[in-house]
Amino acid sequence: MRKLFTLLFVGLLLIPGTAMSATTEELQKKVDQMTEDINYLMDRLDKAELHTATDRITFTGDFRTKADTLHYQDTTWNPGVYVDLNQFAADVFSDPAAWGFDPVAGAIVPGSPLEAFAMAFPGHAAAFFSGAFPPVGGLSMLGLDLGVPTPKGDIDNDILYTTRLRLNMKAKVANNVDFAGRLTMFKNWGDSTGIKVFDSWDAFTTDGTNGGNTTGDWLRVERAYFNWKDIGGSKFYLSIGRRPSTYGPPSEIRENELRGGTPSGHLVHFNFDGITVGYHLAELTGIEGMTARLCYGQGFESQLGNGELFNQIATEDTHLGGLNLDVYNDGSTLIQLTAFGAWDVVDGFKGTFAFPAQFLPLFAPNINQDAANFPNMNFMVRYQPSTVIGDMILGGLGFQREEENGLKYFLSLGWTRLQSNGKAGLFGGMGSDNLYQAALVDTNGDGTNDNIVPVPTNRVVDDSDQDGYGIYVGTQIPVPMGKIGLEYNYGSKYWTPFTQAQDDILGSKLATRGHVGEAYYIFDVNSNMFLKFGGIYYDYEYTNSGSPVGTPRKVSDVLAGSAFNLLPVVDKAWDGYASITIKF
Amino acid sequence: MRKLIKITAILAAVSFCATFALAAEGGNPKKGKYLFKKNCKTCHVANAEGGALTPLSKTMSQWDRFFDRDKHKSKPEVWAGYQEQDLKDIQQFLYDHAADSDQPQTCG
Repeated sequence: MRKLFTLLFVGLLLIPGTAMSATTEELQKKVDQMTEDINYLMDRLDKAELHTATDRITFTGDFRTKADTLHYQDTTWNPGVYVDLNQFAADVFSDPAAWGFDPVAGAIVPGSPLEAFAMAFPGHAAAFFSGAFPPVGGLSMLGLDLGVPTPKGDIDNDILYTTRLRLNMKAKVANNVDFAGRLTMFKNWGDSTGIKVFDSWDAFTTDGTNGGNTTGDWLRVERAYFNWKDIGGSKFYLSIGRRPSTYGPPSEIRENELRGGTPSGHLVHFNFDGITVGYHLAELTGIEGMTARLCYGQGFESQLGNGELFNQIATEDTHLGGLNLDVYNDGSTLIQLTAFGAWDVVDGFKGTFAFPAQFLPLFAPNINQDAANFPNMNFMVRYQPSTVIGDMILGGLGFQREEENGLKYFLSLGWTRLQSNGKAGLFGGMGSDNLYQAALVDTNGDGTNDNIVPVPTNRVVDDSDQDGYGIYVGTQIPVPMGKIGLEYNYGSKYWTPFTQAQDDILGSKLATRGHVGEAYYIFDVNSNMFLKFGGIYYDYEYTNSGSPVGTPRKVSDVLAGSAFNLLPVVDKAWDGYASITIKF
Repeated sequence: MRKLIKITAILAAVSFCATFALAAEGGNPKKGKYLFKKNCKTCHVANAEGGALTPLSKTMSQWDRFFDRDKHKSKPEVWAGYQEQDLKDIQQFLYDHAADSDQPQTCG
């Protein structure tokens, strides 16, 4: 402003000689006019300053519309339980009369519970009495005999449209304190129920995954936290709230964004509430961008909201904690080390889902009779975990680089360890199914046992520690008007990261226990808008991808009928997509 | 399905005709960062001649205006020492990391 006035004034002075003959009156008029203009500008400036000072939150955001075509190949549903057959044999031979076995004749007593079982499962019975049975054997909940496969088929969802709106919030609190957050709406077209029929762990909207699960036309708070930096003039910072723990490196590359979160995106893509204490080590070590962060969070609240006043809570809070170290970060190269643990992990998360009609005959036969009258209506269920199943440790090392010409490439290695405490809930324990035991039952109420049913022991089949490994590698190549990306990731049998909030419709690709390949082409329409065309191919090798609960079974075994899983199982699937994203 | 392919093909063709804006055409922000740290930072730090200055000190438009109109007129001899490409590179770096540009979203 000052410069403008100086220039005007100097301009006045430099007016050519003829103007010098202007009267004092005319000059006075000009000065008055200028004074009026200056006052008017000051008024306008005051209004602008007022607006800026009271406009506390800065909103930015992005809006994405996506079309997917989804195809599942070789899917089946083969629910079953795993029975302690050694215990069964011991029980039968210790009290043969109760079970219906004649040890002298070596035969089943007619009309006995054993006979009822043998008639329902002749293959199982034959194997059992020949002595050729494993210590733990699977038993179909659909009443299928040994090795009889369930029907398998392909599922096609030709077109699915989703819309995602994200509003980033930023506010300055003080010179060294700021607030940041994000509100996210993610919905599929024509659906705002916010709840899905439970056919996979992805159909279960939970606190940690709702940002990546289509719910409806409402904004959820995906992240909200403050940063208190340079505490006491030091390099420490404190940050508390709903963490920026999604879209971490290197997963932001396929999103065509800058780093979207703090922890490794290969190990963590999960909304959690917690605390971070960080320290910028760069000055101390001389290594550019070096920052250490100690993070703590609570993933499960065991009491509030779980009917705690009835004083029957058997679970504990789940605590998460760990170290995240940006070893080197100069804007072109990032090396990141992550190590964290989860203690008192429970069998699932708190969340809501619609109870599938297919489960009613298995778990609620009395309700099933009536529910058959309205097959297209599902009870809404609030699920809460029942059992603490153990601890988990996760670690990873990631490297990514961007060259001067825009070429990007990355490699991330991850490791997870499941540590069972021996206990199991309905869906199983840590990396292992609930072990069932054969029990005598009186089905017709006449006071005598006439059949055998499996009952859960709420102990796991196998309580050993299990290690899982994952690798995630990819590149993004600049091409005219955009980029081409190629990515591959593999997860081993027990690979169990916390990436379930990824918004891939078929399920978090990085949590897959198997192989996943993705190829995409991004058109940068302008600096704030791009189109993306691509495809993801999933080849599942083991079941329960993304969940620490239950034994991972070979998908090929489930399809062949020799293994069981409570939820439907998919062998291969692919997702072709086209999206348009605008940033503002 | 066929309709979807047709629509996306048309969208793709249309987008080829679009352009996207750079602060300075052909500016390399990584080179610009190196030049800024090596040269500008000698004066533009706290308690030094130029006063603290980082890309966050101005908005994208303000940086563009600085390079298009001001051209460091408070000390023009500084400007004269740069090649045209160097200036483009520094401009692109400052533009890319300006106060109103995209920032990585991490805590702290």
